[in-house]
Parts: sequence; structure tokens; C-alpha cells
Amino acid sequence: MASKEPFMQRHHFLLRRLHSFTGVFPIGVFLIVHLTTNASIVWGRLGVATEKSHGGVATFQHEVEFIHSLPALLLIEIFGLWLPIAFHSILGVYYATTGKSNIKHYRYQDNWRYTMQRISGYIGVLFIFYHVATLRWGWTWLPFASGFNFREASSTTAIALRGGSEEIGFGAVVIGLFYLVGVLMLVFHFANGLWTAAITWGVTITEQAQRRWGYVCAGLGFGLAGLALAALVGFVTLDIDEAREYERARIIELESAAAPDQQAGQLENALARH
Amino acid sequence: MVSPASHNGSNNGSGAPARSRTVRFRIQRCEGPAKPSRWEEFDVPVEAGAGANVISCLQLIAANPVTVDGKRTTPVVWDSGCLEEVCGSCTMVINGRVRQSCSCLIDNDAPNDGDVVTLQPMSKFPVVRDLWVDRARMFDSLRKIKAWVPIDGLHDQGAGPRERPKTQQTRYVHSTCMSCGCCLEACPQYKLEEDPDDWDTAFIGAAAIGQVRLFNKHETGAELAGERLDALMGPGGVTDCGNAQNCVKVCPKEIPLTEAIADMGRAVALHGLKKFFRGK
Ligand code: SF4
Ligand code: SF4
Ligand code: FES
Repeated sequence: MASKEPFMQRHHFLLRRLHSFTGVFPIGVFLIVHLTTNASIVWGRLGVATEKSHGGVATFQHEVEFIHSLPALLLIEIFGLWLPIAFHSILGVYYATTGKSNIKHYRYQDNWRYTMQRISGYIGVLFIFYHVATLRWGWTWLPFASGFNFREASSTTAIALRGGSEEIGFGAVVIGLFYLVGVLMLVFHFANGLWTAAITWGVTITEQAQRRWGYVCAGLGFGLAGLALAALVGFVTLDIDEAREYERARIIELESAAAPDQQAGQLENALARH
Repeated sequence: MVSPASHNGSNNGSGAPARSRTVRFRIQRCEGPAKPSRWEEFDVPVEAGAGANVISCLQLIAANPVTVDGKRTTPVVWDSGCLEEVCGSCTMVINGRVRQSCSCLIDNDAPNDGDVVTLQPMSKFPVVRDLWVDRARMFDSLRKIKAWVPIDGLHDQGAGPRERPKTQQTRYVHSTCMSCGCCLEACPQYKLEEDPDDWDTAFIGAAAIGQVRLFNKHETGAELAGERLDALMGPGGVTDCGNAQNCVKVCPKEIPLTEAIADMGRAVALHGLKKFFRGK
């Protein structure tokens, strides 16, 4: 008889718990790593980075090159990120439609969190899609979009955050705000999700334990929001010409270090595209 | 105006100044299942210190059902039993918040002349008539999670196992649940399901989750622990809770429902793991 039930019902428990699990691992862990990497653009300026860092450009370039040096990067992305994110998003939207917010009558802080968790999820999905589609898949036909080139990590990121332009104009305001809202929503979603995950899995049972874990999650959330803001401000105020100068020098440096023929051709192609 | 008869438990000359005032009741009325609802208003005279509550006012309205426009109407129907907040049957939505009407004192909630008290039936259960709803689904949920201690047979089974005082303490507060439905009314994940066929897969709500904790922690009740957890693992079980935590804030018995939800979340995770490795 059981096999006659619809798929979602038959695997209800497993799907629910996988949904909870993927939110923390890998997605949440990746969010922490990603926001930390981004913030490296300001480490140089703040004097945190050790090497001579050209206002953070070198630090960021270094981080990006490290990620791109990982073996089977595309496989890691597909199975470690895109599929879990798609799974978490699709199920999340499906689950969110099962509830009905009643914040109007029951104005408790927790009820507000419940509603925000759903709203931030919706906005977060849209944001991630735009973010990955433009910067990773190169769908530059999307509004205000420009691509990302890992050899010129800082300058192309800065241009993307200015709505595809080197100037700070209308596009920069639109995309800058979109990134600001999108990232803060995701940070909230993660911090709050981490808090409720501890209830879902029964890690924090008593009210006191839930409150304590709440402080930890709130602290993490504010920390991540700080990193995200630093990166955003860092990229929007970046001196693009100066960044390019460093990035070109770096490309030439790599070019001469690598096997002369083929690698050089690739690097020139990379340069020519931008 | 409704005629000024005396309220339940009226002031027997305790010396408190009897301040006469009029309280307006805005009541959402409905003549029966699937019938449209409408609003009617009644003015009710209240004396301060006389212990008037929503039910005593409804009794006055029933005795003389004339609206503020002077129109004679049918008496407003409501459900009640104990009149001391232990049976749960008088639960309704008062000024937008779900609670028991018998323990809703007019002196607290409408202290001034002309104050308005809005009464609506709970929205998560089918209306029988006016403020009276059918909570059958709650009792069906108790059946689904086997909220009983299995002791079959009429023969003497000897003394039961000892219960540890600490467990007893955890369990006691859960035993005070009166199936009133407040926690379900306030829950954004719990929805009205009129068709009993849908009850099995729709979210069961905090009350029943609390009852699983009560019975699974009972030495003999634990006999059925696995079956109860199975019920909570399926569609509509504890996994469908969205952690809004409204339930715990509106529960009149202050039952730690969110603790029960987390506790059962853990139990269900372990139960699922065990089942996975046992293969059954
Ligand atoms: S748990 Fe509390 S609110 Fe829910 S039915 Fe029981 S007594 Fe009522
Ligand atoms: S914590 Fe769960 S059961 Fe309680 S109100 Fe929220 S969703 Fe409903
Ligand atoms: S009549 Fe029993 S709780 Fe109000």
C-alpha cells in the first residue's frame, strides 16, 4: 500500500530532514566561506593582509585563484552547490506555501521571524539565480549584467556590482541595492535557519538552550552581515584602473612562469575578452 | 440594549464601587456549516467588580437578543462546560486573539464605558453555529498518535513500573492540555481542513506533539513509543512545524510546546536512524 502514496508523502521525513541538512551543509558553510573570501578585498586596505596587497586586490585575486585551482571545480560546483541549492530552494518554496502567515494578529517576534524566513527565502532564490547566472554562467543579457573573469577578479566584480559599468550611475544604485538586500536576506535566512535547525534536530530542547543558541546564531548573523557589507563597499568604491594594473601584472607574471606556448595563449585570450 | 439582569457570580456587596458601564459586543455570526457569516453588535451593561466574563455577557445577550439597531435576532450560540478554564470548549477569538471566553474578564479587557469586545469563532475548525466550532479533528489527532497507555485485558497485571520524579515533572504539565485548540488557531502551519480524509496528511499541530511527549515518557505508555513516532514522522507530523513558536505563547496552560517539538524532533531523528539500520 505504501508505494501507492505520492513520492513527496512516501519520503516525507527524509526530504524534510535533507532540506534542513542541506541548508547548513553545504549551503551555509559555503556562505561563510564565500563572504569571508569577498571581504578579503578590504583586508588589504585595513592592513590585515600580510603581503603587499594593492588595496585588497591582490588578496582577493589570490583567494580566487586558489578556488579556481581546485581539481574538478565544475563537479564540486554542480554536486556541492548548485544541486543542493536547487533542492533546498525548490523544496523550500513548496514547504513555504503550506503555511499561512498570521503576523497581523499574533505580533510575536518569533512569528515575525517565521514570516521573514519565508520572505528572505523567496528573495534569496531570485538573488542567487541572478548572481550565479551573471557572474558564473556569463548570462550577460540579463539587465545590468556583466561577466566575471577570474584572472581579473576584482575589476570585473567591481564592474558587475556597478551594474555593468565602470561609473557609479543608475545601474550601480540598482545592482548595489539588489546585492545589499539579497545578501542581507540570505544572511538572515542562514542565521535564523541555523537556529531553527537546532530545534528541528532536537539539539536545543529547553527554552534556555534555544535562547542561548539564539545568541550564537544572532552573533554569527551580524558577523556575516558585517563581512558582506565590507565586501560590498569595498568593491563599489574600488579604483578599477589600479586594480587592472595589478591584475595585468599578475597575468604577465603567471605567463612567464608557466610553460611559454599554450598557457600564454590562454591568458591572452582571457585578457582580450575584457 | 440587553436587559440589565445579573451576571454570574455578581458582586455580593464586597464594597467595591459598582461602576456601571456599557460594553459593546461585536460578534461574528453564522447560521450553520457552509453558511455565510455576518456581524452583529450588542450593548451589554456591566458593573465593575461583578466578575463579568464573556460568557456571562453572552448569557445576557441570549436572554434578550436585540442588536444595537433595536433589531430582534436569534440568540448567539456558543460552547462551554467547566467555566473555569479546564475543559477548553469555550475557546474563541476575542479581540483578534484566541483564548478561553470563560476566563476572559470584562473588567480587564473592556474597563471603560463604550469599549468594544469582538468575538469570532476559531478559524481553524469548522463552525457549527456562531461561536461554536467542531474540534473533532483534535480528537482524531489524539487517536492518530495513540494518546493512551496500553493496558489490555481485565486480569491483574501487577504493579506498573516506577516513574522517576524528574520525568513526572516533565510530564505533568503536558497532562494539563485540555485540547482547547488555542495553539492550533495561532499556528501559521495549521490550517482548516473540513474533509476528514485530509486530516491524516495535514499538519497535526503542537497539542498532539506535546501529547506524544507525555505518553512516550510514561513507563508503560512507552510501549507504543515507536508507533507514535512513526505517526509524527509522516506527512503532517512534527516535521511540518515551521518554528513560529506562536503555539507556546497562546497556550493557556503554559505547556512548553516548543520544548516538546524539539524533543520530538530529536526522538524522530534517532528513531529514523534506528529504523534505517534495522531495516524496518
Ligand atoms: S497545548 Fe495548550 S493551547 Fe494547545 S490544546 Fe493543549 S491546552 Fe490548548
Ligand atoms: S512552533 Fe510549530 S506548532 Fe508552534 S505555532 Fe509554530 S509552526 Fe505551529
Ligand atoms: S468553559 Fe471550560 S474552559 Fe471555558
